[in-house]
Amino acid sequence: MRLIAAIFVVVITLGFVYLLAGPVGTVPALGPLLDPVNGCWANAEPVNKDFTQAIKIPSIQNPVAVWFDERLVPHVKAANDHDLYFVQGYIHAYFRLWQMDMETRAAAGRICEVIGDKAMKFDRTQRRKGMVYAAENSLKAAEAEPSTKLMLDAYTAGINEFISRLTYKDLPIEYKLMGFKPEAWNNIKSTLLLKYMADDLTGYTEDIPLTILRDALSPQDFNFLFPEKISGSTPVIPAGTVFDKPSLSKPPVPNDSVWAHFKASDYAVKRTEGTGSNNWALSGARTQSGAAILCNDPHLGLNLPSLWYEIQLQAPGINVYGVSLPGAPGVVIGFNDSISWGFTNNYRDVKDFYLVKPVEGKANEYWFSGKELNYTDRVERIAIKGKADFIDTVHYTIQGPVMYDEHFYGPGDLKAPLAMCWMAHRATNELLSLYELNRAKNYPGFVNAILNFQCPAQNMAYADRAGNIAIWGQGQFVNKWNEQGRFVMNGADSSALWKELIPMRENPHILNPARGFVSSANQSVTDSSYPYYYNGYFYEFRAWRINQVLKGLQHATIPDMFKLQNDTYSVLAANTLPIMLKYLSPADMNAEGKKIFEELKKWDYNLSAESIAATAYQLWWGKLYNDIWRDDFQNIPVTLWPSDERTMQIMQTDTGSKFFNNWNTTIIEHLSDMVLLSYAEALDSLVKLEGNNRAEWYKAKNTTITHLAKLAPFSYPGLKIGGWGNTVNAAKGDHGPSWRMVVQMGKEIEAYGVYPGGQSGNPGSKYYADFLQNWVEGKYYQLQFFPDLDRKSYIKTRYVWNIETK
Amino acid sequence: MRLIFTTLMILVFAAIGEQFCPWWIIAIVSFIFGFMTDLKRGHAFVAGFLGIGIFWLILALWHDIPNEHILSQKMAFLFHLPNYALFILVTVLLGGLVGGLSALSGIMLRKVL
Repeated sequence: MRLIAAIFVVVITLGFVYLLAGPVGTVPALGPLLDPVNGCWANAEPVNKDFTQAIKIPSIQNPVAVWFDERLVPHVKAANDHDLYFVQGYIHAYFRLWQMDMETRAAAGRICEVIGDKAMKFDRTQRRKGMVYAAENSLKAAEAEPSTKLMLDAYTAGINEFISRLTYKDLPIEYKLMGFKPEAWNNIKSTLLLKYMADDLTGYTEDIPLTILRDALSPQDFNFLFPEKISGSTPVIPAGTVFDKPSLSKPPVPNDSVWAHFKASDYAVKRTEGTGSNNWALSGARTQSGAAILCNDPHLGLNLPSLWYEIQLQAPGINVYGVSLPGAPGVVIGFNDSISWGFTNNYRDVKDFYLVKPVEGKANEYWFSGKELNYTDRVERIAIKGKADFIDTVHYTIQGPVMYDEHFYGPGDLKAPLAMCWMAHRATNELLSLYELNRAKNYPGFVNAILNFQCPAQNMAYADRAGNIAIWGQGQFVNKWNEQGRFVMNGADSSALWKELIPMRENPHILNPARGFVSSANQSVTDSSYPYYYNGYFYEFRAWRINQVLKGLQHATIPDMFKLQNDTYSVLAANTLPIMLKYLSPADMNAEGKKIFEELKKWDYNLSAESIAATAYQLWWGKLYNDIWRDDFQNIPVTLWPSDERTMQIMQTDTGSKFFNNWNTTIIEHLSDMVLLSYAEALDSLVKLEGNNRAEWYKAKNTTITHLAKLAPFSYPGLKIGGWGNTVNAAKGDHGPSWRMVVQMGKEIEAYGVYPGGQSGNPGSKYYADFLQNWVEGKYYQLQFFPDLDRKSYIKTRYVWNIETK
Repeated sequence: MRLIFTTLMILVFAAIGEQFCPWWIIAIVSFIFGFMTDLKRGHAFVAGFLGIGIFWLILALWHDIPNEHILSQKMAFLFHLPNYALFILVTVLLGGLVGGLSALSGIMLRKVL
């Protein structure tokens, strides 16, 4: 009896310990996680932790000093490039290892390896897009260039030095929760990360849906509703700028057989409305101090740990401050002791689709220019946690990877085989560009550096201490015939191929324009006098507002720049609300209707955080837009309807337009009918929001900074911030200004910045999201840029790492 | 007296063991002391429970107080608990149960051998 009891207790005990040792369903292994010695408790960083330490690293060449200021921004001083990038890798890994690991896994389509097959669709999409293929190509280019090879090798070695010192106890908490371990870093991971950014910024394409729309509409209506360039645009390169004589002539437009047609009527593609960024620079003639000012706020997905990591890097020949991407060496956006620069996305289309014509009966061949060609196959092996590997063979045509086919449908179940040609697949070396940009001393140095920046195309604003300002619509582009790549092309037709590259020095640019400022906010790049053809996905509202404000500033100060970056004025509302209000007659309305009517009449068109009028307008506009276009585009997803810009212009110019008629009724409707109908609908929604206490604009839109693993306790929802995608302060639900920077390039450089997060990736650190509240409130930190890091810097900083070779 | 002595021994050796071994060393330590002691079965369980529970409580607080509950509060939400104190309690109960059951296993096995 006692024996049975003893065996019973022993078995229960062993079972209990065994149960705690491994994950059960979605519950992580509780034993190691809750163990206060090595588990999650070890990630609870003391709020007054002393980060000062001495580190021995035999593989660096000379001692390196790292000073951390009170915001935990490291200021690195090294004696040579190798040590500089080695230590940057070590620091990135120290503070952000899990994030770097996840982002590069996501880029490569390796998420299934750590979370199981629920990420299968995502991983396959990444593989079929050719992300790894693209990263391999760029890696070859980067390793062929001595400066970037050294940069990558040293950076990788620094990360691996840190990883080699880790025990389970030291792992970032997400590893403990998800039950995997960091693997050794290698150079391709850094190029993968850069391709991840390229995909984020140039991955968007309308080729397929536009093809459907073109076939669905009459040519007159199509061109009226979807003009290639919106009228009234204030382009990046000011209208009227005279462009250099082009060295290439535009190729002739081939005959109609160059286009592809297909029938899939419900292709759904997510339109990233209003995603984008702002940058501008003012010449000294327009600033109070007389020095040039550069401002930038790239809008990207808002996550924690933050995409960006602030750092100052100093070594012979380089002294740069700015934000870096954990996972890649160098500084991406920032300034050095001579120049400053900022990026916004340049939405010129660099990704085109081709309809592949397979050879019937031959699985491995396709038609091209009357010949049967063999596909090149790339075998993608996707490892899955807890399951056997999944193998996906991806065909490559002369254009690029066949992303969609009968084995992997496009969204909307598109089965036609489509090959993708994408600039990001090419062997480009953006790291070289960053390497040189970080060291550039003047405008020629800047231009020389950015000539290596091929993809993702960016509008690059520039200001220097000599008072020059400039902007370039930079990237590698193809000399296209009119409309080439705007719609899906016939893959068998050789005239549809990308041919000559436009020399990068001929990219649109301007140095020291007469108006005294340059700016970009993802609008059209040039006026129509630009000699080469391009299409793209441009947005105008923020550019209209920025250019309007900058024109009015004669003696701009740094606080003026803060104000503009945090501006929530809606140009759309200012132009449409007066028209909409005109049709309302408050006498016929109920009390709620009258109240909102009065609030809207008083409203200043600012989408400010606590405004209820802002919510009312946004709801009303959404309903109105829907009522106008719903009947015209019955089988077309809402994301493909005409832009807000175009809708606004039609309202302004032709209130009797046939598009305001609802074709489903027997009477002829006018804009006024749409306005009245949508107002009633908007009121309904607003009353519901008020009932839930969610009528204030910030509550209605719910800007949230989400942890990369979507863990709610590590995320920050409901931030009290105004703005929307079409205002300068473009804080949307999950996108927004990812790094606000203002730099005055005077005798002394005066710089400010803030990003929605913190320097530490550890949710258990007080530095995890400590900048967030200031970002929400539009406040900035003065950036501590040390012209020369020495003992004096020590006094102004808080912690120091002394890294010795032995 | 023997109960306190055994509890302390489990606490001290588990603490030493965890410096070198993963968390499950607490089960082995508790089992060994349960096996060596001549306490009653119930007392052996209490010694294991308290030895590990107190050790884990001290360590959790040692991490949590300087951290001003930043992490424990988030972990509590992750486990759908209302506050950090309950997350500490869960940690302590879990460690205590492992210690108690292991010590009980030890003494019961010895009594039949």
